[in-house]
Amino acid sequence: MKSIALGQFYPSESVLHRLDPRIKVILTILYIVCSFLCKNIVSFALLLLSALVLILLGRIPLKVVLRGLRPVLIILIFTAFLNIFWTKGEHLLFGWKFIQIYTEGLYAAVFIIIRITALIIGTSMLLTYTTTPIALTDAIEDLLLPLKKLHVPVHEFAMMMTIALRFIPTLVEETDKIMTAQKARGADFSTGSLIDRTKALIPILIPLFVSAFNRAGDLATAMECRCYHGGEGRTRMTVRHVRFADFIPLVLLLLLGAALIVFNIVGIGYTM
Amino acid sequence: MAEIKLENVTYYHGKDTPYEIKALDRINVTIPHGMVTGLIGHTGSGKSTLVQMLNGILRPDEGSVLIDGTDIWEKPKRIRDIRFRVGLAMQYPEYQLFEETVAKDIAFGPKNMGLSELEIEERVKEAASFAGLEPQLLEKSPFDLSGGQKRRAAIAGIIAMRPEVLVLDEPAAGLDPKGREDIFSNILEYHQASRNTVVIVSHSMEDMAKYCDHLIVMNEGAVWMQGDRDYIFSRSDQLTRIGLDIPQITKLMLKLKAHGLDVDGGVYTVEQAIEHVLKLYKK
Repeated sequence: MKSIALGQFYPSESVLHRLDPRIKVILTILYIVCSFLCKNIVSFALLLLSALVLILLGRIPLKVVLRGLRPVLIILIFTAFLNIFWTKGEHLLFGWKFIQIYTEGLYAAVFIIIRITALIIGTSMLLTYTTTPIALTDAIEDLLLPLKKLHVPVHEFAMMMTIALRFIPTLVEETDKIMTAQKARGADFSTGSLIDRTKALIPILIPLFVSAFNRAGDLATAMECRCYHGGEGRTRMTVRHVRFADFIPLVLLLLLGAALIVFNIVGIGYTM
Repeated sequence: MAEIKLENVTYYHGKDTPYEIKALDRINVTIPHGMVTGLIGHTGSGKSTLVQMLNGILRPDEGSVLIDGTDIWEKPKRIRDIRFRVGLAMQYPEYQLFEETVAKDIAFGPKNMGLSELEIEERVKEAASFAGLEPQLLEKSPFDLSGGQKRRAAIAGIIAMRPEVLVLDEPAAGLDPKGREDIFSNILEYHQASRNTVVIVSHSMEDMAKYCDHLIVMNEGAVWMQGDRDYIFSRSDQLTRIGLDIPQITKLMLKLKAHGLDVDGGVYTVEQAIEHVLKLYKK
């Protein structure tokens, strides 16, 4: 239960950890766009390279990064499988009865694997591993600030996100505790039909919801006791300033994006 | 008979992760049949981990847990049967309540055992009375009960399984002095009526001295001392050495002894103390 991959901040001293979280959010979005700009071999090689560079910059052990990839392994294998066997092309590589594998299919499979892997490594290196959840929500609040002009309750959204993130580990721990308590009374979560197993969840979900609502009430009281009244006139304890150095990765990533667009126009290497 | 024995039990929290902690270190204990055994220790000394070993919630990484000489993990698929034989009420057990009525909630365990409606109904009534719940509460929603009543309802849910061994992890935590007293006397009554083995986890020496026959003292994941009540309290100095509190009356007697009076330092109840002091007075 405790290994749920959420808010997996990995404390370390690195360039990526020090980078301004607002910049990191923008970088993440740009990185996602970049990964979808890739259309040919050279682009994908560049994308893979950039993911590796991010791992090195973030100083996260490779083992931890690979563990983060494990949940999507099945999706990776499945999509690769579909691409290999169901992509039709011009160059037949292997044919036996109804199984036909084309070169195009192989390329498509490799490309999709690189794209998904880079997406996950990129977003986790830039955000989850190197940014504390609190810094992340602060950054999102700052970036959405212009929306305030349109009367969007930006601060309230950010506060809700902060609270939600803060309580995930608490709720996981509580679920664990309730499950143990019900197991001690002979509850069985792992055998029986699908309906039986769904029913077995009731003794966990009801106490969990009850305590979550109680917690929410307590938290609201505690916040009111400390005179919380929303975002109006509220200041931060730590005010972040964007430094010049923070812009360097932004420029680098924009250059990467530009290069990818150029490659698409010129079309070097095998193109999808 | 239901004697539980732990042999060389070692357990790690978060095994094979960077956060691995040794929670239990080569534990060897015997929980004698038909007695009230107390498990004392600081927060983090491994008490709660140890009790979760007793009914197979946790599986030891090394060593074995034996009930009457049989390893409970001999047939891992049948571990549920062990949970019915060794009833465990966790810390703050009121979290486990979920049914519409208290009676239905108490019936959850017996229902999982596959008993008949009639049998279940009888057990619910019996368990409720052992736990000190008034019959009119049985048809109420468990969420409408007071804190102390919820605790009782949760404990009744364990007693209703008629376990051979009843394990209670901090049954009185967070209750007021009256609530503490009541819950302990209910447990004692249950013990006397059923003659079943009872294990109580607590860090209150005062309660332990009052209610337990046999004591196991834990310190930093290992057993520091175990033996009957007289044996443990005659070694009060060893208890204080690991920072555990000793009963007020023992402290008083030790002070008297330090002042040169001929009294026993191993006294742990007021009644015993009165006896000793009177004897001294008559001399």
